[in-house]
Formats: sequence, C-alpha cells, structure tokens
Amino acid sequence: MARNRDIPLVRREALDGAYVLLTFRHPEIAHEARAGQFVMIKAGISAEPPLRRPFSIMSVAPEREEFTLFLKAIGQGTRRLAAMDVGDLAQCLGPLGQPFVAPPEGSEALMVAGGYGIAPFLMLSRQLQASGGAGRVFYGGRSAGDVQLRSPFEHLGATLVVATEDGSLGVTGRVTAPLEAYLDAAAPKAVLYACGPDAMLHAVASLAERRGLPCQVSLDPWMGCGIGTCLGCVVWIQKPGEARPKYRCACTEGPVFDSRHVVWT
Amino acid sequence: MDVKLGVDVAGMALKNPLIAASGTFGYGVEYESLMDLGLLGGIVSKGLYLEPRLGNPTPRIVETPAGLLNAIGLQGVGVRAFVADVLPRLTKHDTALLVNVCGDTVEEYAEVSRILDGAPGVTGLEINISCPNVKKGGMAFGGDPRMTFEVVDAVRKATRLPVIPKLSPNVGDITIFARACEEAGADALSCVNTLLGLVIDVESRRPRLAFGTGGLSGPAIRPVAVRMTWQAARAVRIPVLGIGGIATANDVLEFLIAGARAVQIGTANFVDPGLYERVLTDLRAYLERHGLTDINQVVGTLEYPGDAERERRG
Ligand SMILES: Cc1cc2nc3c(=O)[nH]c(=O)nc-3n(C[C@H](O)[C@H](O)[C@H](O)COP(=O)(O)O)c2cc1C
Repeated sequence: MARNRDIPLVRREALDGAYVLLTFRHPEIAHEARAGQFVMIKAGISAEPPLRRPFSIMSVAPEREEFTLFLKAIGQGTRRLAAMDVGDLAQCLGPLGQPFVAPPEGSEALMVAGGYGIAPFLMLSRQLQASGGAGRVFYGGRSAGDVQLRSPFEHLGATLVVATEDGSLGVTGRVTAPLEAYLDAAAPKAVLYACGPDAMLHAVASLAERRGLPCQVSLDPWMGCGIGTCLGCVVWIQKPGEARPKYRCACTEGPVFDSRHVVWT
Repeated sequence: MDVKLGVDVAGMALKNPLIAASGTFGYGVEYESLMDLGLLGGIVSKGLYLEPRLGNPTPRIVETPAGLLNAIGLQGVGVRAFVADVLPRLTKHDTALLVNVCGDTVEEYAEVSRILDGAPGVTGLEINISCPNVKKGGMAFGGDPRMTFEVVDAVRKATRLPVIPKLSPNVGDITIFARACEEAGADALSCVNTLLGLVIDVESRRPRLAFGTGGLSGPAIRPVAVRMTWQAARAVRIPVLGIGGIATANDVLEFLIAGARAVQIGTANFVDPGLYERVLTDLRAYLERHGLTDINQVVGTLEYPGDAERERRG
C-alpha cells in the first residue's frame, strides 16, 4: 500500500547531459512496487516548486529497502531532485498507480521507450527475466545522450535495439522504424509496451492496432496529487461495453492503460 | 501543559481548527489509507451538483510560482451518488463532514441542500458561490451581492444544517458580500476561493489551460487571503473560516490572528499529505511558548497599527 514518507537519498549517479540516477530508501516502495508504478516526489520541504513530480520507478532492491529513479533534470522540480546530496530528505509517496500486465505464456514482450520513458522497462525486464526472457527493448532518443540506460538491459540479457533521430547511435530515425521492421521480419506473437512522448505512444498504439497486437501505454499527463483527488490528470478512456468515453485519473486508473481504450486527442 | 485546540464554528464542535478544503481532498476516502482522518477538525467534500459533472477539458492544472492554477470545472459524481456511496464510508471517521454545494441555478443549490439535509453524517453545508471555472453559477453568484443573498437565502430555507457560503476573492469589497450572507442567514463564512488567473504559453500564444483562465491557489495567494479574511471577520458577527495558501502552523496562526475561527487547507494536501500531524504539533508548541492554553485565545488578536502610526514619517 502506498505510504507517504520523508526519505533520504542514499546514492546519486550523474550520467551525461542532464540525466541522473537517484536511489532512495523507502520500504513499501522497495518491497511492493511493480513495473509501471510511480512515485510522487519532491526534494526537501521547501515551498518551491509547489508540487511533487511523478516518476516511474526504474528499479528496486528489496533487501536494502531501496528504489531508484532515472530522470532528466529539465524543469525546476527535476533540477532540485538532481541537485540533492546524499542524506538529504525528499518527500515521497508511493508506490502509486496501475502496473504493466505481464504478457501471456508464449507471447514476447516488446518494450518501446523514448528518452526517460525507458525507466519502467528496466523493472519490467527484470520481472520478465524471473519468469523466462527479459524481452526485447526498442530504445529511442534524439541523439546518443538520450539513450544512456543501455548496459543494465544488456546485463539482464534483454535484446536492445537503439534508434536516434540524428543517427549518433544505433539505427537512424524514429524508434518505431526498427520496431516495425522486427514485426515484419519475425511476425511474433507479442505484447507491446510503450513509455515516452505522446506522439511516440500514439504511433506505437496505431502500429499495434494495425497488426492486431495488444499494447499497453504509460501516459504522462501533468499530475497534482497522484491519488485521484485533484482531478488534474484525467484522460479520455473508453472501455469495452461503455457507450462513451469517460475522464479517468491517469494517477489511479493508469498511468498504464490498454492502448485500445485510450481516446487519442 | 495540555493545550486546547478544539473550536466551535456555527454550532459545529471541531476537535481542532484544521479542515481539508473542497476539491483538494477528494471525497475524503482517497486519503483513508494515507493518514488518520480523525486527525482533522473536518473535511469539505469536492463540489457537488444534483447530477454528475464531466468537468473541463485538459490540461486542467499548471504550476505557477508558489502556486497552482486550476480549471478542473467541478467534475463530480453528483449529490445522490455521494450520499449513497461515499457518505456511509466517511461517517465512520471521527471528523466533521462538510459538503460543498454547487448549482447552475438558485433552485439547484436549494435542491442539493435539501437532499443533504436528511443525509446522516453531514455536519454542515459550504455553499460554493465562488468557483471561477464554470460558466454558469459559481463566481457569477458570488460576484453580485444580490445574487449572493438570493442563493444563501434559498439554501437557508432548505436546510437546518449550518450554512457556510464560500466567498470569492475576485471582488472589490468583500465586506459587502460577507454582510449579504449574514443577512441571508448564513451561520459562518469560508474565505476565500481561488483567485482568477491566466498563464500563457508564449510559443503558441495560447492559455496553458484548456479552459483559458483558472483559479490560483497555494502560498502565492496567502497574503491576499489573509487580508480578505481580516476584512470579512471585522464586517460580520458570524465566524469566518480562513482559506488560502496554508501549509504550516505559522500560516494557520496568521489567519486565526486575522480573525478566522478555523482554517481550511487546500493545495498543500497535494504537496504533503503528512502535514496535519506536523501543523498540530507546531500549533501546540506555539501556544505553550506564548503561555496560552486555548487556541481560541489567539483568534482576532491582530494588533493593527492605528492611522496615526501607519502614517507616521521619520
Ligand atoms: C484542484 C482544486 C480544486 C478545487 N475544487 C474546489 C471545489 O470543488 N469547490 C470549492 O469551493 N473550492 C475548490 N477549490 C478551492 C479550494 O477549496 C481553496 O479555496 C483554494 O484552493 C485556496 O486554498 P489553498 O491555497 O490552500 O489551496 C479547489 C482548489 C483546487 C486547487
């Protein structure tokens, strides 16, 4: 069950550019979190920025009661987090939201990530490895600096396909191109998982729809509270049997949704 | 030394002066697993109309310096579903339950109030005549003293529960509205709702919120809210609930000293669901430090400088 705690930063690893790995101690998150779930977190108890930020949980170490976030310091909230020193306290609520659903027996997991959207897939890949293969990961970004979280997947034995728009690493172009090429070549029985910018999610969802493959997307709207009270993060969702779409909170009913239920706007 | 934090507002005995503000605490049940709701003096529900409401398109929220601009647009389940499904779950907690009443028309406010009048567990009604994020009702009623009177009068006649109109800060002189409410039979006032604001995306030259304007809340509005609470409290005899940007015991005390009998905490619930425990501890510490035994001893104790002092030069 989600718990609100003031938690210490235990480790901090700066990567290239504005990317950073932050490890915190929080027993409930470390023990209970599932891939696709998130935390609402804020550095310190300062008035600025006013709100906590949602982040996917990248990994957990239950034996040490730790979890790790992978983030890009681009705004005020992320910059403050990235600037924390070991021992500093953050206010953190989690684990929150609905996790990814594992693929059925005999289906391959195809994970499609854009930029920091890679975070939840490390955890998913690890969960999948425990019950078979670590899956296949399509990891895209604008340039090489945006696809830094590669080696942990290689250690897990996941197949990693990198694409950059400027061609500085891996395949040149959008990440959906190698995904489509793989689907053409292998015609796998597969479940698609996508996390990243909205345009990428929509593209992956359309691809899945055309191929008749199930697809789960992790949405990332602005969130105020993370627990369904502010109603700021609602998205249009229409489930089977419903006459019309409903506004549903991405924080409590998502962030992971079946892509066929999402009304793309 | 044991200090007394209990307050009495319009016949409602609250165990402490901290109430969760409407729209920032869901229907209360969302926080059940995160905290002991019995810590709170009271909870105000999300705004409720007769029927369920969809609310406004997205984006609905945007962060601002020390604040939050929202245009949720009163998405809600409707009063009947609240009474049937939510209320039974809430009543088991030892805290006062206020319901935020909305309407597109005067009749709707009265009808919602009538339904709640008979509902077991409801402690009082907060009348939302100040939401800036709906086209009809809301601020349109709270921005016109005659309409304010009409709504409060109609609700007064529809219920025996304490009636607490929630005032808009988007007016020139809040005392006119405070008095209109008192004359119409209000038992207390909530002071204030969000300040009308606008955030613009300069790249697209469009508002950041789909609705256009929104309501500003959070620490950014606190000085305005304290000033309006102070003005309203001096203008009427009924108690005032201070609201706007409260996150610490110090903030609570500002409102109490300005004349509020109790306060509501809104946006800070999103930032830190653990704040009630901390604020209560700090309030006790303040009272002890000042040799006081009862939080009511602080209410309305502002030592505001007289004109001579305010205009003294050199
Ligand atoms: C997301 C959000 C939703 C709100 N919904 C309501 C509502 O349904 N009814 C109401 O009377 N006030 C509503 N308010 C206003 C708050 O109850 C409160 O008056 C205001 O936010 C100022 O207090 P604060 O600065 O502590 O948040 C809402 C505020 C926010 C931020």
